[in-house]
Amino acid sequence: MSDEPVAALSGVSRTYGGVSVLESVSLSVDPGVTAVVGPNGSGKSTLLRVLVGATEPTGGEVTLPGATGPKPIGYLPQRVPFREGFTARETLAFYARLVGDDPDAALERVGLGDAGDRRVEALSGGMRRLLGIAQSVLGDPSLVALDEPASGLDPGMRERAFRAAAERADADTAVVVCSHALDLVDEHADRVVLLHRGEVAVAGPLDRLLDEHDAADARELYRVVVGETSALARDEGDGSDGSGSDDDGDETEPAVHVTGVSDR
Amino acid sequence: MTGSLSGVATVFRRELATVVRTPGYGVLAVGLLLVVAGLLAAGGGGATGFVPAVVDLLLPTEVLVPLVAVVLGYRALLSDAESGELAVIRTYPVRVGEYVAGVLLARTVALVAVVGVPYALVGGVVWLTAAPDTGIFATHTGVDSPALFVRFLAFVLLLGAAYVSLAAAVSALAASRRSAIALGVLALVAGVLGGDLALLRSLAAGGSPTAIPESIALTPNGAFRGLVFEHVIAVAFAPEGEFVATGRAVASLIVWTLLGAVVSGSALAYGRRVDAAIEEIRGGFGG
Repeated sequence: MSDEPVAALSGVSRTYGGVSVLESVSLSVDPGVTAVVGPNGSGKSTLLRVLVGATEPTGGEVTLPGATGPKPIGYLPQRVPFREGFTARETLAFYARLVGDDPDAALERVGLGDAGDRRVEALSGGMRRLLGIAQSVLGDPSLVALDEPASGLDPGMRERAFRAAAERADADTAVVVCSHALDLVDEHADRVVLLHRGEVAVAGPLDRLLDEHDAADARELYRVVVGETSALARDEGDGSDGSGSDDDGDETEPAVHVTGVSDR
Repeated sequence: MTGSLSGVATVFRRELATVVRTPGYGVLAVGLLLVVAGLLAAGGGGATGFVPAVVDLLLPTEVLVPLVAVVLGYRALLSDAESGELAVIRTYPVRVGEYVAGVLLARTVALVAVVGVPYALVGGVVWLTAAPDTGIFATHTGVDSPALFVRFLAFVLLLGAAYVSLAAAVSALAASRRSAIALGVLALVAGVLGGDLALLRSLAAGGSPTAIPESIALTPNGAFRGLVFEHVIAVAFAPEGEFVATGRAVASLIVWTLLGAVVSGSALAYGRRVDAAIEEIRGGFGG
């Protein structure tokens, strides 16, 4: 295990249409599971997109000192984006071919071995998310970034999705998960980054943060630090179809997305 | 297979599978066949031979083929960007250039099928039905021949490939499906009419007509028309001068194709940085 972080953000900022979404965020991402939590619109998805290189920051820099290999980063966006008309196996086979991996083994890893011949559009929301997780870990990346992997799923499926993600974390692999599912954060996260209004409110090992804020669990920590509970009422798992289109996280970003300014 | 080729081939396979599974493209091919066959039947050239058939088809082709190519290409690069899948693909070891090449190659193959098959079928019907006998392969000026129609088809596909590439560039620059359609229509109108209007303006301003064979080759439509006149229609008679500089016309079509690919690649490679730079400038002005 290296002392180097897998990824580091230094003074990262991002605006959309002149409105600040992330402001001077400095973070170190170490091996293990890091949960990024915060109210809707706090910048979680933007943080993840900047981390994986999908969005260019307007300030600061992102480095990946410990992310190595042919595919250093695995990424699952909040909206699972796979093309319709392709089966689950065909979808994974496309990505697997790019890194010389085995799509069937990847399907088996997330428990979708029997659903390989089903078309993407025929999969349930939970199965699509599992397919997305299977995609994100193809090629054995050192940094796996998952945006709301348990969003819109029933309790059993969200636990399964979160566990599938957390199982990837080891001494050399960092899994970063944006989530509102604070019970699952309690269960699986080693570290927590709590974002509030685009800034890091607190960050560090979960146990230490709980001690420092005299909180019993992540939910209480959230309440103490953010001082509100409204966002928690919309925990992951309350969504409808799991397609990720249920405005559960930083999908508020398009609200400040102006015409002619694209973040791709 | 080397890494780069493997990346291109993998993207190509996925894109081609997408095209094959899109029923609309089959409908497009059937529609084109009906239109082309109808034009020939109405014009009567198809009953006489290949050169008359080409004369009947030349002008409609200058609109129909770019239109079909734009339909094939206007969302080629936008769909992955719009859905968010491009952000996922870019975490894999496939370069932007490989991705663009794979998509463009697949869309060009689709063009060959959607445009090439209807034109080839029409050519086959001309071969079977035209009178007098068109079964002679031309070896010298003045003889109608299937080879002339094959030449015409080759020029048609070159024209189409240029427009597919330009349409893909439009799709890379567009921020949404609506803007892709608007930009695609604009590119189509500019491509079909722009060159001729510019040429007329140049002549009206006192430009020399002797420069036409050089300048007409600069636009895709001009290059295509010049090549068809020079190497298909002119075979039937002895023209006094050249219609177009052949090398320049072929190079023009290839350059337009490459230009579309380069713009596509650049838009995908640097779009995020440009976007961030615009945001920084906006921030500098106080949001």
